[in-house]
Amino acid sequence: MSELYDTLHAGGLISDESLEKIRQREVKPPLFHIHWEVKTILYVGILLLTTGLGLLIYENIDTIGHQFVLMLIAAICIGCFVYCFRLKLPFSTGKVNSPNVGFDYILLLACISFVIFVGYLQFEYKAFGTNYGLATLIPMLVLFFVAYYFDHLGILNMAIANLAIWMGVSVTPKQLLLNSDFDSETIIYTYLVLGIILISGAYATQHFNFKKHFKFSYQHYGVHVAFISLLAGYFHYYNSAIAMLWMLGIAALAFLIYRDAEKQRSFYFILLVILYSYVALCSLVVRLFTLDGNEGMIALLFLYFIASAIGLIFLLINLNKKFKTA
Amino acid sequence: MIAYNKTWLANLRLQDTLEKDLSAGCITKDEFAAIKEKYPVGFFTPSLFARVGLFILTCIVMFFIFGMIGLMGSSSQIFDSPLFPFFLGLISYAGLEVMVNVNHHYRSGVDDALLFISCCCFFAAVAMMFVVNNTNSNTIGLSAAFFLISLFLTIRCSDVLIGTVSCLCFFAWIFFSWTKIIPSGTATVPFIMMAVSAGGYWLSRRYHNKPALINYQNCLIISQIICLLTLYAAGNYYIIQTLGDELNGTSGKAVPFGAIFWVWTILLPFAYIFFGLKKKEAILLRTGLLLVAAAVATFRNYYHILPTDVALSIVGALLLGIAWGVMKYLKTPKHGFTYAEPDEANALDHLKVESLIIAETFSRAPAAPANDGVKFGGGDFGGGGSSESF
Repeated sequence: MSELYDTLHAGGLISDESLEKIRQREVKPPLFHIHWEVKTILYVGILLLTTGLGLLIYENIDTIGHQFVLMLIAAICIGCFVYCFRLKLPFSTGKVNSPNVGFDYILLLACISFVIFVGYLQFEYKAFGTNYGLATLIPMLVLFFVAYYFDHLGILNMAIANLAIWMGVSVTPKQLLLNSDFDSETIIYTYLVLGIILISGAYATQHFNFKKHFKFSYQHYGVHVAFISLLAGYFHYYNSAIAMLWMLGIAALAFLIYRDAEKQRSFYFILLVILYSYVALCSLVVRLFTLDGNEGMIALLFLYFIASAIGLIFLLINLNKKFKTA
Repeated sequence: MIAYNKTWLANLRLQDTLEKDLSAGCITKDEFAAIKEKYPVGFFTPSLFARVGLFILTCIVMFFIFGMIGLMGSSSQIFDSPLFPFFLGLISYAGLEVMVNVNHHYRSGVDDALLFISCCCFFAAVAMMFVVNNTNSNTIGLSAAFFLISLFLTIRCSDVLIGTVSCLCFFAWIFFSWTKIIPSGTATVPFIMMAVSAGGYWLSRRYHNKPALINYQNCLIISQIICLLTLYAAGNYYIIQTLGDELNGTSGKAVPFGAIFWVWTILLPFAYIFFGLKKKEAILLRTGLLLVAAAVATFRNYYHILPTDVALSIVGALLLGIAWGVMKYLKTPKHGFTYAEPDEANALDHLKVESLIIAETFSRAPAAPANDGVKFGGGDFGGGGSSESF
């Protein structure tokens, strides 16, 4: 190791001062970091404990009684919130670091127990009657408040998921792909509205410079939801002329997100825009080629896919180079 | 040997080392720029997201190219012959060599995809050759051929995924050879697997820092992990019993020398953790932590001492206690251990992975009471998450 630095030093690439600094650092034995391990144990511990306690209560509900369980959950929730309120750093519109490592997890526990509390109340005592909107609205508002007040990204994500549940849909990508039925107009429109809300939320955080680092979460969910719902809309109205409107929507959205991603230099969103637009484009081309059921068209279609994908590869390579050098 | 330009690989390692020095404040920006100038890296290595995108697109291109070839040859019966996938594999491999040698792609997504596809095609060809029908297949030859193919590709590209496949195929080959060729091989095979994996671990640990194999460091680290896992699996009671039943056609038969294997099952993970802490090796430590879960699962599969809920609560509380104790103890670094976060920024941090995981794990909790009337949400929300995170 030190030979390497000596060579660099001899070649005049490292100054005496820097070499000295490196030497000094190498004298100290390196510390062994067990951050990741301890954090994983903590996370698994919380999951196991909550699952275990939940099961325990579930099986002994007859002897324990619902009121006691509710009180227990409320006590956990209040205790955690009190701890967080006492320890938190002052609020700011920028990023606020958590005062210690355990803080984030305690806050998470507080929020989860709160959500469970509300859910329990609703299930057992029908506290909100059949007014499910209210039953999901309250946790959502609390979650959003907590996320902003304590600056917790994980809880912001929970809040966004809750917003989606409140609107009657699910939002995390896995569930989006697994349990969603895209064949109904209401669901498609709900998703579209949700996507637009989230994307505007992302722009608002950026524009008003209010918790700017939350932008990614909003935009991440917003872009996925909006593109998927637009594509779903296109296929839903495949045989009518309105389908083209959805295509226009995709084009407009792609343009907007692309412009923003270019400004923010976020390659993740550029990639999303390119891939979703590619899917849209391909569905258009396939439609064009299969207008008359000609056998020869299939070979042409294959050629189109090969050529377009290669073209996209070059596009990505060039974009990547542009991003690196610019 | 390795397909990539070796000077550039060396320069890349140099730049990586100095980048750490730069962020630690040991060298100045100008010095780093000058070093970058002096030791250039000509590879095309895009960012992570571009890599993912290029991987997907390359897969699309190859899929349709294969489709074209299939379409052209569909009249003659080429699909029955193993030569067809072999030919496709050759095409992708040729593409890989061109991309690497001419266009200087390195971990760009394009070379990853081509490597992956050619490996799959070669495997398919070999499988068509060896598997005569589903019942009577030549597993020894199959695993040996898989091993040789993936070993060759690993040597060419030093890819971690293919390296993993190669290790697994090697162990499969040893396993099948021993059980099929040696008489009474079924009873002795655990010990052979233990010996081979221990030897494999020793070799890959010994050589993973040697200058001659410096380009394969990643693969050798992976092979260490695989060897540690097989070393554990070879003595795991559940695995031995299941495999023994499978091979002998019995069911639920007790394993000979059962006590030895029980000791192995329970104690080995802790031995890993102990040596990991003693030698300060993350690989041993993390594998050990992972295998503790396996040991617990194995044990609970045979002995139900406590009901699940009580066991989960106790273990959860215990883990929290341990984590809390360690954090308290290491507030100031002791014995060369620290709880502080490592300096190097993780590439995935940009995606804010943890927050996404939290959303995936917990987001269904509030939905339960609104939707179904059978179970309430509190009981089962963490179950899926806990098994995923093991």
